[in-house]
Amino acid sequence: MSQDKPLVPQGPALVAPPPARLVATTLVLGFLCSLLPWPDSVRWLVPDFTLVALLYWNIHAPHIARLGLAFVMGLLVDAAQGTLMGQHALAYVLTAFIALSLRRRLENFEVGGRAIHLAPLFLAEVGLVLLLGLLFNARAIDARYLVSGVSALLVWVPMAYGLDRLIGWSNVMHIEPAEEKK
Amino acid sequence: MASPTHAPMFSRELGLPGRLAIYGLISLALMLADSRYDALATLRAGVATVLQPVQRGLVWPFGFLGEAGRFFVTHGEVLRENRRLETDRQQLMTRLQGYRNLQAENERLRTLLGLVPPAGTQPMAAEVLRALPDPFARKLLIDRGASHGIEAGRPVVDVDGLLGQVTRVYPASSEVTLLTSREQAAPVQNLRNGLRLIVFGTGADDRLEVRFLDMHADLKAGDMLVTSGLDGVYPAGIPVARVIQIEPPRQTPFARAVCVAAAAIGHYRHLLVLRRTEAAGS
Repeated sequence: MSQDKPLVPQGPALVAPPPARLVATTLVLGFLCSLLPWPDSVRWLVPDFTLVALLYWNIHAPHIARLGLAFVMGLLVDAAQGTLMGQHALAYVLTAFIALSLRRRLENFEVGGRAIHLAPLFLAEVGLVLLLGLLFNARAIDARYLVSGVSALLVWVPMAYGLDRLIGWSNVMHIEPAEEKK
Repeated sequence: MASPTHAPMFSRELGLPGRLAIYGLISLALMLADSRYDALATLRAGVATVLQPVQRGLVWPFGFLGEAGRFFVTHGEVLRENRRLETDRQQLMTRLQGYRNLQAENERLRTLLGLVPPAGTQPMAAEVLRALPDPFARKLLIDRGASHGIEAGRPVVDVDGLLGQVTRVYPASSEVTLLTSREQAAPVQNLRNGLRLIVFGTGADDRLEVRFLDMHADLKAGDMLVTSGLDGVYPAGIPVARVIQIEPPRQTPFARAVCVAAAAIGHYRHLLVLRRTEAAGS
């Protein structure tokens, strides 16, 4: 195979994998956001920031944001929010599983396209958390909390837009013409 | 030969569905252990202890920002506000007298409350750190925990009446489940005639209800319900609710009484946990 006609992008056109430090920072920031003293009246509207960050990295840094990380973050959220241990963990692991399975397709979409794919995921995650609570100990749920799935998507879109630029993501293939090398 | 920096060509780890199954099973086992056997109390307490300073730190800048925001107002706004404040001042001075009276009265009430706790208990003031985002029950996180001598199950009151009980204790904080949660109940007595009833939470802000009320029971709107002390959890004589309406039976043979909680649920940042006294504890 000749060297002068590369099939895959070469050199600077290849996007480096996002740094682990950036992934960790956004996840910690997301977790801290959910710990903020939100007013009680809008509590049901507050999105799950941890999941918002996690679902971005499942697509763009699958070597870091694996199922194990989703599980650990879920346990942390469970402990912080006083829900059953494992309730958010299970929901996060399932959501991350779907995102990781779809990521080869998702990573080629612009922000809007990815958001449309993720919308049912965000809603299903909130629904699953409520359902698990109902199964295990609670007899009544506040269905308004489902709205937080929608607001999570609204937070995800601008965050993904910013992070795309930060890690240099692009779905345009820059294949350098072979003549330039000569 | 592959250079040592190459990644192995075939990954040897479990596939994605396999890992999902493992983590899913662990999660389900954890939930089962947590809900049925309360086995994860130490793990939860550990995480809560680590997170508490973080949460305190997160609350702090909001108080600070509120004050710093006032610094950035324009000069015109300051002048206008100054003029308005000048006219308001006279009015406020007269109101201040009334306020001071109220404050003194409040102080007296507080000391009174401190002097006459229900028998066998000793009140401990606690501050509400935040309301927990639990869609299933109404819970508060308070800043007193096991290290202050608080145990799960202790009643929590405010100046006006019963608020709920401590349901989970961490080393330096604890969770209070409010009486208005749908599953909470308290045995009460009608103050007027001694009729014994059970009051349930409804999940609404300050509404309680007496379900399965005998349709001929002597209970009227305006009756005061106080704890009867029969359950061994809540000491007798704490005001719980005031009846506002009796709903006659519809499809069931029972009537239902709608009550409003005596305690100012969701109003104050401070509450009292009734600890066991040393004498009663030993």
